[in-house]
Amino acid sequence: MSLSSRPENVGLGVMLGLGLGAVALAAQWVKGPSALLVAVAMLAMAIGLIFTAFAGGLEARKSLAPYGLLKPGIIWLCLFFLAPLWSMVVMSLSSKTGRFDFFPDFTWNFENYRIALTKFRPQFIRSFSYAGIATLLTVVIGYPLAYFIAFRGGKYRNILLGLVVVPFFTSYLIRTLAWNNILADEGPVVSLINTLHLSGIFESLNIMQNGKLMNTPAAVIGGLTYNFLPFMVLPIYVSLEKIDVRLVDAAMDLYSSASQAFRKVVLPLSLPGLFAGGLLVFIPAAGDFVNAQFLGNPQTTMIGNSIQDQFLRQLNYPVASAMSFVLMIIITIIVLIYTKFMGTEDLA
Amino acid sequence: MNTRRTTTPQSVKASRLNRRDFLIRGGLMGAGALSLPALLAACGGDSGSTADTVGGGGGSSLFFENWPGYMDEKTIGLFQSASGVSMKYTEAFNDNNEYFAKIQPEMSKGKTIAPDILAPTFWMAARLVQLGWVQKLPKADIPNFVNLRDDLVGQSWDKGDEYHLPYQTGIAGIAYNSKITGRELKSVSDLFDPAFKGKIGMLTEMRDTIGLILMGEGKKIADITTFDAASVAFDKLEKAKSEGQIRSFTGNDYVDDLSAGNFAACVAWSGDVLQLTKDNPDVKFIVPEEGGTSWFDTMVWMKGSENASPVAKWMNFLYDPVNAARLTAFVQYISPVKGVQEELVKMGGDNAKLAEDPLLFPDAATFALLQSWGALAEDEEAKFDEAFASITGA
Amino acid sequence: MSTAFSKRQKAGQRVVNIAAGAALLYLFIPIFVIVLFSFNEPKGKYNIKWQNFTLNNWAHPFVEKELTSALWVSLRIALIATIVSTILGTLIALSLSRYKFKASGAVNLFLILPLTAPEIVMGSSLATLFLNRSVDFGYVTIIIAHVMFQISFVAVTVRARIRGFDWTLEQAAQDLGATPSRAFWKVTFPLILPGIMAAALLSFALSVDDFIITFFNAGSLVTFPLQIFGASRVKISPQINVLASMLLFTSMALMAGAMVLTRRREHRHSSVARKKS
Repeated sequence: MSLSSRPENVGLGVMLGLGLGAVALAAQWVKGPSALLVAVAMLAMAIGLIFTAFAGGLEARKSLAPYGLLKPGIIWLCLFFLAPLWSMVVMSLSSKTGRFDFFPDFTWNFENYRIALTKFRPQFIRSFSYAGIATLLTVVIGYPLAYFIAFRGGKYRNILLGLVVVPFFTSYLIRTLAWNNILADEGPVVSLINTLHLSGIFESLNIMQNGKLMNTPAAVIGGLTYNFLPFMVLPIYVSLEKIDVRLVDAAMDLYSSASQAFRKVVLPLSLPGLFAGGLLVFIPAAGDFVNAQFLGNPQTTMIGNSIQDQFLRQLNYPVASAMSFVLMIIITIIVLIYTKFMGTEDLA
Repeated sequence: MNTRRTTTPQSVKASRLNRRDFLIRGGLMGAGALSLPALLAACGGDSGSTADTVGGGGGSSLFFENWPGYMDEKTIGLFQSASGVSMKYTEAFNDNNEYFAKIQPEMSKGKTIAPDILAPTFWMAARLVQLGWVQKLPKADIPNFVNLRDDLVGQSWDKGDEYHLPYQTGIAGIAYNSKITGRELKSVSDLFDPAFKGKIGMLTEMRDTIGLILMGEGKKIADITTFDAASVAFDKLEKAKSEGQIRSFTGNDYVDDLSAGNFAACVAWSGDVLQLTKDNPDVKFIVPEEGGTSWFDTMVWMKGSENASPVAKWMNFLYDPVNAARLTAFVQYISPVKGVQEELVKMGGDNAKLAEDPLLFPDAATFALLQSWGALAEDEEAKFDEAFASITGA
Repeated sequence: MSTAFSKRQKAGQRVVNIAAGAALLYLFIPIFVIVLFSFNEPKGKYNIKWQNFTLNNWAHPFVEKELTSALWVSLRIALIATIVSTILGTLIALSLSRYKFKASGAVNLFLILPLTAPEIVMGSSLATLFLNRSVDFGYVTIIIAHVMFQISFVAVTVRARIRGFDWTLEQAAQDLGATPSRAFWKVTFPLILPGIMAAALLSFALSVDDFIITFFNAGSLVTFPLQIFGASRVKISPQINVLASMLLFTSMALMAGAMVLTRRREHRHSSVARKKS
């Protein structure tokens, strides 16, 4: 259903206005009587929209319907997603007068960003590399599983998908802590490695350090891989499932081997899923601090741990906000590149 | 695929109503969403949207927020029946800094929090006093105050003991698993022995870890008032960390690691290790020959709480040697109350044996080894905390 | 050639099967460990090393008062947040998939941002907003935070499920005399309900489990993950494993029930032409 232009512009305009107004109120761009003015203006816009809908006839209503549906959710997001980001930016440019100054003043203080980028550079780099390795591992482990469910699952598909999701229903923290049990020094995995005399190989690969698997970078990366595996499996499955099986059959007829058919037909068609999964794994993994806290050691801290420390322990809200913003910017750039590349529709 | 005829006149009319339906619903929701800013503003005015507020007005209820595993049920029960005060007791105080960050938004705006009494460590109590977030204790109603151990009377940050009352005291020293180390340990420098690489644990409690290292360098921690004076310890710790000497920085969780053999040795608190040394004779606790840190947790009365009478009754109750002895038997830390040793003997059985434990009642020689920190200025403390955070991995 | 081809095919198939099975096993190893250690009788304060089998923990699962009350807090929050976010998110999904309008590309992008923003950024920025606006932390702030990331999730999930939905079915119903409202509720809604329910279920799980965003916005209120995190500094009791196992089994049962119901409904509606997404 495509819509006629003018009423749609009204709907678009009102939605933008309401969203902007919401952010303005929440982020305190305006205060006091001006804030009241903004609120009244927003109410007027909403009423105007409804009026246009009733008075404008069928075409108008058809055009305005989506905006009506969108309004509540978008306003919520504007209030509680955009406005906080604005607050964060303001805070990141503020400076404190003392350690216990909890209401820093906005002073265009770019020093916070300098600190964020120099003092915490190792953590930034480490976070992105851990997240990157974890993402690759989720592809290696998750792709065969998604392939199996999509092409071999048959009527058990939903059950299998359910099984992939079920570990999700235990607490994130408990799942991570469980790896403590598994990888403990006197636990099953280390004992197995020692009995098989494989510890030398693992040590040289830096997977084990001084005979232990716990409190190592490998443990942290392993935790990240495990916790975000479903986020890779599900998108790959979705894009594999859309592939018409007859295409694969045709490919098999054309090419001499199954693996070639896979490489030339299935793999390219599953790329959207791979990219979606990649983002859904990489981004939360980069900002995570739980895995590093429970499974790591002082040398494996990620940027998430640092932000948490600055925010809650050092009470240095300006620097913490600057760090968060830098992290956000880097990730947003990645997302923008991706969406330009793949188009936004396919992300679902 | 599907071929369907396009809209008939009848369905057009019907569709008009259809879209209207959506629009109305959407519009209503939108209006509802618009009221959210008003909701937010209203929220700003509320106080205490958190757990049940017990504090405020009246004289028969008390809310004590304590560390986990730091109080036995029996004492609470006995207090409630003896005094008629109904007590709410929770153990959500896991970490000084984290709890401070939790209460900061409310306290810094002059509002009050739900608990009446908190149990911060001495340096956090000093900060609360400095920020004005605690009230002067109703000392007139706490006659048992005189039972406070002489060495704990008067602190530099609270000269008249007006704002705090010590809760438990303890020692930070070295605990080690002799089976893993293969020898007895005596000194702070043993923690840096390359033979134990990757098997050393240290505490996330900055003053205990840095304090021990400073004492190992021959310094007196009471004299340390600036970050520069302590930088030698930070450098040494940083070096040990980057060389992989230290396995991890822990809170109370070193206990299991120690008995499991993950740590050869670690900086440890006396009370935790007491029980462990009884269960596992390989585990030993020592105060290093260069010295150990003496610390204490306090009870403070939060500003905005109006339960003066129950607060006084509770603190008085705890400072009765009988109750203090029972508490000591449970937590196995060093009591700040005089006369506990005799009470433990009177209790008989295992508790009488505790009366002889040098970790609970250190002799004069051990006492002489203990040092405690003075107060640190706000900006100096910030430097300490930042430096420590970047070493412990934050 | 054909036998060699099919042999290689079969070998390839077997490799994939084994890899898939291994992946599934990998997913469940910690789950087995969690359930297993709920039967453990730990000697120290931490439940890391296997000591003895005991049914004691299951006999007294709610003995840790703080843990249990934290669980109730989490469940309560999740219920409210899920209801709100499902409604809002479904509305967005409906508008995006039913209509083509100018802003749809931008809205798509806007929706994705909360999904891709790191939790720590969302959590700390929301906390900063609440601090600036003097909003007290507690139930309201946590629910707001949860709904915020749940909306995107619900919208994207429901949209994926109703993509390809045949909207002319509604018109067919109206041609047959139904009012638009009836057409929606009696025809469209039941068909997209499974998608909505799936999204609601998953976002419920996300809310109960959320740690990082809640961490910054909870104030003194303690949710289940927060309690585990806080207490983990001092001890990890087996009751945590018991409660987690209970959560797990309940959700598995709910999911199985939902599947059975969907299958029954599919049989009932098998005559209606529709596409599965």
